[in-house]
Amino acid sequence: MFAIFTCLAGAALTLPVARSRAAAGWVAFAVTGISSALALVAVAGVLGSGEPSGQAWLILGHPGLAVRFYVDGLSAIFVAIIAMIAPIAALFSIRYMDHYPGYGVARYYPNFLMFVAGMYGIVAVTDTMWVFMVFWQMMTVPSYLLIRFEHREAANIRAANKYILMMQVACALAMIGAALLAPTGAGAGGHAGRYEFDSLAGNVSVLLQTRPFVVVVALALFLAAFGIKAGMWPFGQIWLPDAHPAAPSPVSALLSGVMIKTGVYGMMRCFLWLVPEGSRAGCPMSAWGLTIVILGTITLFTGTVAALQQDQTKRLLAFSSIGQVGYILFGLGVALSLLPSADPALVALGAMGLGGALFHTINHGLFKSLLFLNSGSMVWATGTQSLDRLGGLMRLMPLTGVTALVGALSVSGVPLSNGFASKWGLCVGAIQGASGARYVPLCAAIAILTSALTLAAFVKFFGASFLSRTSAWVEQRATGRRSMEVGWMMGLPQWLLAVACIVLGVLPGLGLKLVGAALGSSPGGSGAALAEAWPVEGAAALGVAVFGGRAVLVPVVLACVLGLGFLVARLVSRLGAARAREAEPWLCGYVAEADCHRYAAKGYYGELMRYFRWMGGTASGAARDGATTSRARPSGELAAGGRGDD
Amino acid sequence: MDWGRLVLAGIFNVGAVLLVAPFLEGVVRKVTARIQSRQGPPIWQPYFDLLKLLGKEDIESGDVPGMQQFAARLSFAAAVAVACMVPMGVGVPLQGAGDAILLIYLMTLCGVCTVLGGLAAGSTFSLVGMSREMMSMVALEPLFAVAILIGAIHTGSFRLETVLDGSVYAAGGVPVSGLIMLGVVALSFQAFVARVPFDISEAETEIMEGPLMEYSGPKLAMFKYARMVKLVAYSALFVALFLPWGSSLVFPLGALLTWGKVLGLVLLVTLVAATHARYRIDQAIRYFGCLLGVSMVALVLASLGM
Repeated sequence: MFAIFTCLAGAALTLPVARSRAAAGWVAFAVTGISSALALVAVAGVLGSGEPSGQAWLILGHPGLAVRFYVDGLSAIFVAIIAMIAPIAALFSIRYMDHYPGYGVARYYPNFLMFVAGMYGIVAVTDTMWVFMVFWQMMTVPSYLLIRFEHREAANIRAANKYILMMQVACALAMIGAALLAPTGAGAGGHAGRYEFDSLAGNVSVLLQTRPFVVVVALALFLAAFGIKAGMWPFGQIWLPDAHPAAPSPVSALLSGVMIKTGVYGMMRCFLWLVPEGSRAGCPMSAWGLTIVILGTITLFTGTVAALQQDQTKRLLAFSSIGQVGYILFGLGVALSLLPSADPALVALGAMGLGGALFHTINHGLFKSLLFLNSGSMVWATGTQSLDRLGGLMRLMPLTGVTALVGALSVSGVPLSNGFASKWGLCVGAIQGASGARYVPLCAAIAILTSALTLAAFVKFFGASFLSRTSAWVEQRATGRRSMEVGWMMGLPQWLLAVACIVLGVLPGLGLKLVGAALGSSPGGSGAALAEAWPVEGAAALGVAVFGGRAVLVPVVLACVLGLGFLVARLVSRLGAARAREAEPWLCGYVAEADCHRYAAKGYYGELMRYFRWMGGTASGAARDGATTSRARPSGELAAGGRGDD
Repeated sequence: MDWGRLVLAGIFNVGAVLLVAPFLEGVVRKVTARIQSRQGPPIWQPYFDLLKLLGKEDIESGDVPGMQQFAARLSFAAAVAVACMVPMGVGVPLQGAGDAILLIYLMTLCGVCTVLGGLAAGSTFSLVGMSREMMSMVALEPLFAVAILIGAIHTGSFRLETVLDGSVYAAGGVPVSGLIMLGVVALSFQAFVARVPFDISEAETEIMEGPLMEYSGPKLAMFKYARMVKLVAYSALFVALFLPWGSSLVFPLGALLTWGKVLGLVLLVTLVAATHARYRIDQAIRYFGCLLGVSMVALVLASLGM
């Protein structure tokens, strides 16, 4: 994995040139670009040939240490996500970092590159103990420094401290889990490979017969450790919503879009690839499936409901990341619950659930990074994260607005977006699984209910900032300017991500084919069973049919129908040759509309929020990214007077 | 089923919906008026209204007129797309292009357009209406979704022509879950087609049509047309899911029977609308919440095979 070394070398390189912001930025972008290219070549090799690639770098016999990199299909998906998002975030950073005049970039780019290198390492390393720890720290410490980048804000320091504490706990839990499973005694594979993933897997089959509870404890530890990283309920709510908004926006994009996925990776790796194929019967897979399905459902519901209550852009996005990770865990849980079944049709449904989860992982990386970059652009242009102060930006920042609309529709799973394509996969896998696991359809219905809640949260995010009415704050910032649009260096990253969202949404076959190839090139554990049961038929990128056509999705046709309807509407609208005229909005004729009449974001969904207030999510959230924002808001304000929404 | 037949079915569905929807709206207005001891407008009035609006002045009062136009046209397109996924006597036109899950999510797209339209207009009343529309969507969409999912669980398929054929009753023995869902959807049907007592987001008498308040001319025509199409499409969906009997008869008979049932349902909706007063949003949310709880119970029963 030359990509890691490129990043590390780049980190060293950016340090001396950090006096010049632009130079350091371009160097960092070039380095991430090169490392991404290298990583993508490796990914293409693995997925193309169907053979995992492994490399050993440094083998020290005595402490049982070996730095071995191993990239199979599962790792390849996550490497690809990192390689896609990292250069985009780096390009965005070049201009974005200009709006921190008081903070030098010497503490930004080197950390940024080390952070990326650490993430590459963690998804490719085979050791589960010391080398794992080195990469975990390489990912954690730089990201800690990035979160506290604006170190003069006390709230950011608090968020960062909480973050690093949680990550150390997670690291310790994972290492204890690995130590429990490692073979003991000199005979067990020698020292050099004691903590290798393969020797752990080999020992699991022994332990399952002798001391099965040890495996249970170890898996529970892994679940907690990677659950903390991924933002699973109840751990995610502790650190994630504070840490993600505190970092500069491109870093938030990496944290939310990419870093929490390493937790997902760890979970998938431990639950599906650790237990060897032959001894799966001894492991209570369906019980773990039940646990993860329920945890995933709670995560997706609580995360989204909390997102709905936010009135800070990046905090809303952070909570919704918890919600989206819930969907991914839900898919993994469905796969685990259905995998042990004897009926091949049910195993195929499980594979579909996992496929949906992996596809959603890719998609969430794309649209959540996009949304964080959007909110970064908003902060850059207006200096605030408060949805109450924003409004009417669509006129001033039309390009950012269109990409934000794409992101918001994708995360809500509106048809023709990539978010819909992967939720479709999850639903197909989950709903028909009723005969294998009775609880799954109920959880799927909650997931569908939650996508309406996600939609509500993102209608608030997009509508309050880009549509509704131009606020006094924005008006003041825009004085004398016709446009507040960001330059191409910040615009291009958003466009690339938005186009990727639409392409994967209209051609879901591409994404599912990628996921299928990944499962096909991940031998060991349950990989072969999943690849064998993979239900997506045909290689057409245009549409997808699974289970002999019992579920089909051809978004291209829907796009044509919608486009045709749109054209007819356009034609008909012009038939009457109606003249357009600008006029003031009507406020019952007494006074002209002013800023005090503006229906601000805090007023949205008052009646619904009443029922969800006990779920919290409105706790600490201080001023971020420069602007001070008062969060003083009497809790009874919305409910006052009985009619909350007027 | 070959492509030609599907395209013909699509043309039939779209044409029928577009032609008949204003007529049914006229029926609704006439019958409402008669129930309330008024004379009422002529039954063809909605056609004239639409034509008239197309020539009326197009007033742009929002910050982002382009977005308002986009929302109005997309709402028409989305309503037509839903009509293409529902059987109306000649099969499901889009059966090879999507399944029941797509239908569930596509129904939200119709609501999204209204919400976007309200947001783009940006006035205080529009936003109040938008907020109400979004809240009722959150509570409502899962109800139809659960009914469709129960059908999918019973038949083991997501194909539209299988699910939208009375599949909720397909369980062995007494279809308990299907009957429960029939009750739930019947009790919330007024809200799906945005009629009294659940026309809370438009509420002419209090927030002056909410999201549509700032719209006029062709854009208003598009929104109104979409609303009429929605009434027909949702009624046809209800018929297909819960009252499928006789729809598979030979061409003219099956189609006539389907449309007869749609007309009957529309008359029922009118009767309820004309005799009830509007609920407040908080009352409505509580009501939908209870129905949602019941429908979850039905879903559990369905996954137990009942």
